[in-house]
Amino acid sequence: MLPDVLQFAFMQRALFGGLVIAVLLGWVGVYATSRNMSFVGAGVAHASLAAVALAILVGWSPLITVIIFSILLGTLLYVLDTRTSVSRDTAIGILFSAGMAVGILLLQFHDGYVPELMSFLFGTILSITQIDIIIVASIGTVMMLFLFLLRRELLYITVDPDGAYLSGMNRTAVELFLYISTSLAVVISIKLVGIVLVSALLVLPAAIAKSFATSFSLFVRYAICFSIFMVIFGLVLSFYADLPSGASIVLLGTVFFLSARLLTMK
Amino acid sequence: MPKKKPYIIDITKLTIRFGDYTALEDVTLGIKRGSITAVVGPNGSGKSTLVRAIIGLERITSGTITIDGAPITEAIGRIGYVPQRFSFDKTLPITVQEFLELTTVCRKKEHCKSDSIEHVLDLVDMTLHRQKQLGSLSGGQLQRILIARALLHERDIMILDEPSSGIDAAGERDLYALIKDINASQKTTFLIVSHELDFISKCADRVICLNRRLICHDTPEKALLCEGVANLYGPHIAIHHHHKDGHHPSHHSHAEG
Repeated sequence: MLPDVLQFAFMQRALFGGLVIAVLLGWVGVYATSRNMSFVGAGVAHASLAAVALAILVGWSPLITVIIFSILLGTLLYVLDTRTSVSRDTAIGILFSAGMAVGILLLQFHDGYVPELMSFLFGTILSITQIDIIIVASIGTVMMLFLFLLRRELLYITVDPDGAYLSGMNRTAVELFLYISTSLAVVISIKLVGIVLVSALLVLPAAIAKSFATSFSLFVRYAICFSIFMVIFGLVLSFYADLPSGASIVLLGTVFFLSARLLTMK
Repeated sequence: MPKKKPYIIDITKLTIRFGDYTALEDVTLGIKRGSITAVVGPNGSGKSTLVRAIIGLERITSGTITIDGAPITEAIGRIGYVPQRFSFDKTLPITVQEFLELTTVCRKKEHCKSDSIEHVLDLVDMTLHRQKQLGSLSGGQLQRILIARALLHERDIMILDEPSSGIDAAGERDLYALIKDINASQKTTFLIVSHELDFISKCADRVICLNRRLICHDTPEKALLCEGVANLYGPHIAIHHHHKDGHHPSHHSHAEG
């Protein structure tokens, strides 16, 4: 007999999608936070409101639209950060607000209430469809494969970008991959966690894992485990307590983070 | 077989500007294959800019740098580099072992021929620190690890930017002995930014003195007497020659007054 939480198809979809997202964000988050790219996640998530609004307005699939948008945005952020004198903070600050402004403007042209918009802004379990799960699982699997294959290169550019360049590796390609994968991991999670809160899932697992890890390999493993724990327990909590999924996951993660810091305080 | 050029690094009319600031102007010099060359000069004289330009980490305003007649990008992987300051997130949980293993990431297979991590850690006397976190090391220990990493692969060229900073006197002597040993056994070309007069006189074959321009480029005996170097180390530098073990001529110098 299945527990209550697994008897509903929408919860099965949410838990499976949540598992994929948790592994992905936990893994990418290790590199993103270590390279001070945490706000790339927040910037891309908020800027993706423009893509969500456009998709709603013209009737495209919002998830596919934000995925394409995130690849373009990740590339643009990389170019601004590495090829111009614009600092990463400034670039994110501009794209963050410009994306939201475009989204708000586009939604002015839509008649009536837009329920889908609320699910993108704050994340709801009910909004995740079978198609969404297939898309998230497919993209997630491909990204995890690349993360595994490029794990040494990603660590190299994280610890010592100059050394990585001198080793002869293609630093541009690896850095671009990190920007795009951070953007993608964030946007495929916004239906579950919401635009407003999704970047916390990029930061919190890595921040918790850092308290306990004694090596980089343990850092990655712990971050993925904490991420899975946060997402699954957050979803179960939201199911039983009838709370929004994104807020439940993020608050649970924040409690873990504070507990981890207290436990490891010297 | 075409004969190899005597200069492994060829720098012609090199100028590097950062906005209005000219870090290096019209520098032309050649670094001999298999030599140990010291780069000296006052603070802000462009020493680090020069070595970073050689490895392609600085944008060249005008002029050229070639390694074995080819652009720098083709020589990447043949050059080992120890930076003056290695800045990284000290809270990042990465062990010394994991850090050294990173050098197995190479674009070309021939660049991946590596010495064992045990061996290089032993060379820099850091064997016991293998499982320690990189962020927990002192400045001197980190410097040794960076040197160990540069030694992990056989490189044609080793560029060390003030390698003895943070290392005690005994460690410094060991480092210089190691440099001489690798230079003699592997014919590795060393380019070393250093303020250590003792090192320059004992270890280097050639000295480059910079002060945004090339002041002089000569043997240590002559270079230490040229105006730029004399201004840097004081006017009364004396150099004493002696031969050690009947081969490599060795120099001793001290600054007086």
